[in-house]
Parts: sequence; C-alpha cells; structure tokens
Amino acid sequence: MTLTKAREKGNWLLNNLHKGMIWPAFLLFLAFVLLPLVFSVGFSFTSWNGLGKADWVGFDNFAVFFQDDRARNAVLNSLLFAGCSVPLLNFLGLGYALLLDKNSTLNKIVKAIVYVPAVISPLIMGYVWLLILKDNYGVLYSLFSLFGNGDAYVNLLGDKNWAMAVIIVVNAFQYVGLTMTIYSAGLQDIPSELYESASVDGANWFQKFTHITIPMLGPSIMINIITNIIGSLAVFDLVVSLTGGGPAYHTETLSLYIYRLAYGGRSGYASAVSVMMFFLIAIPVGISYYIMRKSNLYLNEEK
Amino acid sequence: MKMRKMMMGLAMLALAATGALTGCQKTTGNVELTFLNGKAEVVDWIDAKIKEFEAANPTIKITQEFDKDASSALKTKINGGDIPDITSVYENSLVNGGYYYDMSSFSAWNRVSSSVKELCTDPLTNKQYRLATNKTTAGLFYNKDIFTACGIAAEPATWADFIADVAKIKAQNYIPLYMGGSETWMLGHLMEFWGHGIIKENLGNVAANLAFINNDQTKLNFTGTGSAIKTFATRFLELKDAGCWNSDFVTASYDDQIENFATGKAAMFSQGMWALSKVTAKNPTMASKIGFMPYPSMDESKAPKAVVLSDVDSGYSVMKATKHATEAEKFLNFLWNVDNQKAYCELVSAPSAFTDVDANWSVIKDTVATALSKGFNIGFTSTPSGFGGGECGALIQGLYIGDYTADTFTTKYASDWNAAYNANK
Repeated sequence: MTLTKAREKGNWLLNNLHKGMIWPAFLLFLAFVLLPLVFSVGFSFTSWNGLGKADWVGFDNFAVFFQDDRARNAVLNSLLFAGCSVPLLNFLGLGYALLLDKNSTLNKIVKAIVYVPAVISPLIMGYVWLLILKDNYGVLYSLFSLFGNGDAYVNLLGDKNWAMAVIIVVNAFQYVGLTMTIYSAGLQDIPSELYESASVDGANWFQKFTHITIPMLGPSIMINIITNIIGSLAVFDLVVSLTGGGPAYHTETLSLYIYRLAYGGRSGYASAVSVMMFFLIAIPVGISYYIMRKSNLYLNEEK
Repeated sequence: MKMRKMMMGLAMLALAATGALTGCQKTTGNVELTFLNGKAEVVDWIDAKIKEFEAANPTIKITQEFDKDASSALKTKINGGDIPDITSVYENSLVNGGYYYDMSSFSAWNRVSSSVKELCTDPLTNKQYRLATNKTTAGLFYNKDIFTACGIAAEPATWADFIADVAKIKAQNYIPLYMGGSETWMLGHLMEFWGHGIIKENLGNVAANLAFINNDQTKLNFTGTGSAIKTFATRFLELKDAGCWNSDFVTASYDDQIENFATGKAAMFSQGMWALSKVTAKNPTMASKIGFMPYPSMDESKAPKAVVLSDVDSGYSVMKATKHATEAEKFLNFLWNVDNQKAYCELVSAPSAFTDVDANWSVIKDTVATALSKGFNIGFTSTPSGFGGGECGALIQGLYIGDYTADTFTTKYASDWNAAYNANK
C-alpha cells in the first residue's frame, strides 16, 4: 500500500466516522422508542390483557375510549395541568431570565439555586413537598400549630379543588430553572447593538422588550413552549408522589391512567389510550408551532 | 516475539481449562431455581433459608428475586419469557391463563388444615395452584384503655351499638376510627370486608366466591333492592356524619394509621394481623392494650352476626413453565418444615395453616381466636382485574369528599365493576 493510499484510507475513515457513531444511538432508539411505538399501535387494535395472545378487536378500544368517563376525566386533568403549567413556566422562566440577565456573581448564585430543583428526580421532589404540605404532620401544618392555629390549616392535597393547583405549583418550582436557562441563553444571543440603536431612536423599555427581546427570543420561546407542552401533558411522577391521582381521580392524568390500565389487565386498551395521548400531545404542539411560524418571532428560518 | 507467543499459549490454555470446568459443572446436574417474592417483610428470612437449603442440597441453587410490585413483575417476566420457577404471586387471571403448575399432588397437603385447602382450591377446576402456609385475620383493632375511658364496657354487637360507641369516643376527643385513605387499597378492604361481607354472609363463602368470579348479579345484586353496595355507602356516610373518621382521611397513609393508634390518639383502626407487629414496634406498651373484634354488620335487617376476615396468607405457587417441579417441591417442603414454619409464623404474626405447627405468633393470639368465634368468617373477594381494591378505594374517596351520594356511588360501583369484568371476559 502506498503512502498516498494509506492517507486516503485514513481520511475516508475520519470523514465517515460520524456515520458509524450514530448506530449505537439509533439501535437504542429503535429498541426503546420505535419498536415499542409500533407494537403499541398494533396492540391498540387488540383486547390483549398483558398476557398470552392478543385478539384483534378492530377499533373497539377507540370506541370505548370515547365513552370512558375516567379517560375523559384524565384527558381534562392533563389539559388543565398543561394549560396552567405551560404559561406559568414560561412567564416565570422569562421573568427570572430577565431579572438575572446581568452577569454578576450574585445573579449566577441565584440562577444556580433556581436551577437546582430541575436536577432532582420529580418523584423525590413530590415526596419532599408531601412532607411540607401533609395535613397533621407536614412542615406547614406544624408552623400553623406553632402559632396556635393548626385547625386553620387547609389540607390542600386532600381538597379536590386545590390538589391539582398544588401539583402545578410544584411542577413550576421544579422546572422553572430549566425554562429560565433556555431564555437566559437566548438573551445572551441578542446583539447589544439592537438595543443601542433602539435607544438612539428613543425606544422605551417596553418597546425594546416587545420589538427586540421577544422576537429575538423566538427559538427559545419555541423550544420552551413545545417541550413544556410535551412534558406537561405527559406528567406522571409528580402526580404519583403527591396525590396518587386522588382524591378520587381528581388529579389522575392520562399517563397515570394508562399505567394503571396496562398493569390492570387491560394492556390492549391502554395501548389505544396511548395512541390517543399521542394525538392529544401532537395537536397542541402542531398548533403552537404553526402559530409561532406565522408570528413575527425570529426563528432563524427563511420565511 | 517468543514471549508473546508463550503468553498467547497460556491464555488459550486458561480459556480451555475454564471451558472444560464449565462443561464439568453442567454435567454434574446442577439445577437453578428462581423464586419471585413480593413480601418485603420476609426477604431476609427466605434468603437465610435458601442458604441453609443450598448447604444441604449443593446441586440446587435458588435465587430469590424480590419486587414490591411482584404482580406486575411476574406479568412482565411472562411476556419476556423469563418465568420464575416459584412465586408468591397468585392471581385469577394467571390461573385462567394456565400459567400455574397443578400442585394438587404435593405431599404437604396432608399437613394443611382442610379449611385452608378449601380456600386454596380453584373453584372452577377444583385443583390447587398454590399452597398457603398461613391464615390471616382482619377486623377492627381497638385500644382497650380508650374504650374504658369512654365508658364502653363491651365490644359493640350491632350497628346501633357501634354508632353509639363512636359518639362516645368522639366526645372524649379521640379519633374513633382512623383510616389511611390515601392508600386506596385500605379503602378497598373496607368494601371487601364490610360491604362484601354482607353478601358473603348471606350466600356463604363458597357460593359468594363463585358469584364474584362469574359476576352473577342475580346473587350479588349490586344495584337492586337491599343492595350490599348501597348499604355500605349509606353506612359509610353515616359514620362520616358521626365524625368517625380522621380529618385527613384522604391524605393519611398506612404509617399514619399505625402512628395514631400506637400513640393512643385513635381508638380503632381496620387492618389485618400484618399490621400488629408495626404497632407494637412503635409502642411496645400497647401489647397489653390491644383488643380485636369483628366488623359489626352494616346490614341489620336479617340480624346477622359480625363479620371477620379469615383467609389465607403467604401462598406459594409453582409456575407451569418450570422444568424443575420436583426440585421446586423439595425446596418448598424445606421451607414448610415444622421448625421453619414456627419461626415464619412468629415473624409475620400469623397463625399457621399446617396442623403440626404450634407457634406463639401473636400477643393477641387468644383475642383473635375469640373474635373468630364471634364473627362470621369471610374470605377475600375475587375482584375482576382492573377493578381491585385500589380502584374501589378511589370511589370511596369520592364518596367521602362528596362526589357521590349513596345512590350514585352504588350505580358507579356496579358500572365500573361490570366494565372491568366484561373487559376481562
């Protein structure tokens, strides 16, 4: 082999190495995402009970879904959770990012503190908040008792009107740091010249915010909104640890219902509900994407 | 170069030797068994027994796999083709699916009490797919000192007595009946023991069990006149109105229940014998104060007796897929020998199902015997898969927080039960 050929071979390997490196990730994706997805769609047309053979039932499971009170309740709970969580996370995340935009040591410390909950398992987070909120034993109850008014403490997690609100607040507490970080990175990317030019033109703070900051944060807004919609509609761990879906299914979300169906001998129906959940998530994500593309947000795309 | 060749040769030799040894091991006929266990409190005990068994039977190796949710784990394993040889999980859906080995010919049945053998018998095939080593009892634990302090001289015999006693306890600022209602399986037990108890007493255990398995509504009568479900819902709300339950009913846990009873804040709680050791561990002085009584029947129309759960506990099943049924039986016979079972009964605070095992299983052994003789003994309910204690418990939470009246609860209960039954037909 001549030296030139050896060099050519070496270059070919270097140039094509990345193609080989995709395989481990692709195989994992295939085994743990794509194949389960395909199987799930297949099982949704069967009456499989999680064991043995699966009998074909056509669209029966989907017909049952539209008559299933508990499924309807779970869909509404998921929508309520997402409908409140997505705006809350984004308003709070953007607020924190704007407040902490200056590159000082104090801001860095505050940012780290706000971000820390995001690296804790949501299950652990739920149990920690349970210890705070629990009636008769929780930290808040103890504080009420300390000041002589334990009876005034409202058992929020046991109240059907408050339990979901608590989960929404805890979820915001946990993930606001993540949203803030994405907005912070977006703010860093906005050229300072734009603000300087606007100042020269006499723009006030609000005008700069609405005409420069928001449009230039387009990619960050899109990432945050889409990931928040997906995450919120699929919420599971926090609900399990805080309320277990109670009281009386008032906080049972679709993912929790699917889990219970799958291990309750109705795996075929659980698969059908999963397929419906896919559409439940895909539709708002698609609508959000469409609205953002039609808006005046700067999305780094050619319009 | 020579050195490298020598190293290669040595490596090859080592590989060959390992292969040969492995081959030898296979030819000695070693058997490996797996035991899927879902009972957390006995994991260490079983591990210790496995060591003893393996020492005496070096050709059999047992691996215990513990999973808190052993039922789900077993189903996953069945689907993955990784079926254990022995398991503590027993479910009707698995019996119907033909996943269990027929244990009817096991020699240990000669030592098991006839009542336990009957409870271990599948009513549809008349075969035994599990052998339960213990009996368990559930009823109302009560604090004798609190009863005395509240002027309650005798255990309530009727529903009216019970309601009157609740009022007396409430007046003395104790929690009459504590419920850890966030864990819905406990609420499900209320229905299973107290609500279904009416049906079981009216039909008899065997007929009731068949009616539940076949969803025979002509006998179960969930929604008709005199419905046991409606009676349960009405009585439950009556207890609520009487201030019977703890204020954190829907968020309190099993541990809170133990804590409140053990520390003398609650007068009664509904549980099985499995809870007793936790109470005495929390407060050893409670041992002499604990009373135990049957559930006063909620249906007074036929003047029935109170009901108390008396069913089997600690069941062992061999899976049909095992290739080593003989070795599995040998291991189980070792676990079930008299000495081991005596220790096991004392560990889990449950009386033995074996007629030749006499264990000092509880400080309230005699009290329980009295309760069993006073009340009509009922078994667990065979619920349809997908509408077990957890789902029923969530409905009871709804009843408590005002989502349902007694009538709407009854309709909802029957409709959810039927939906689950039909989904599993």
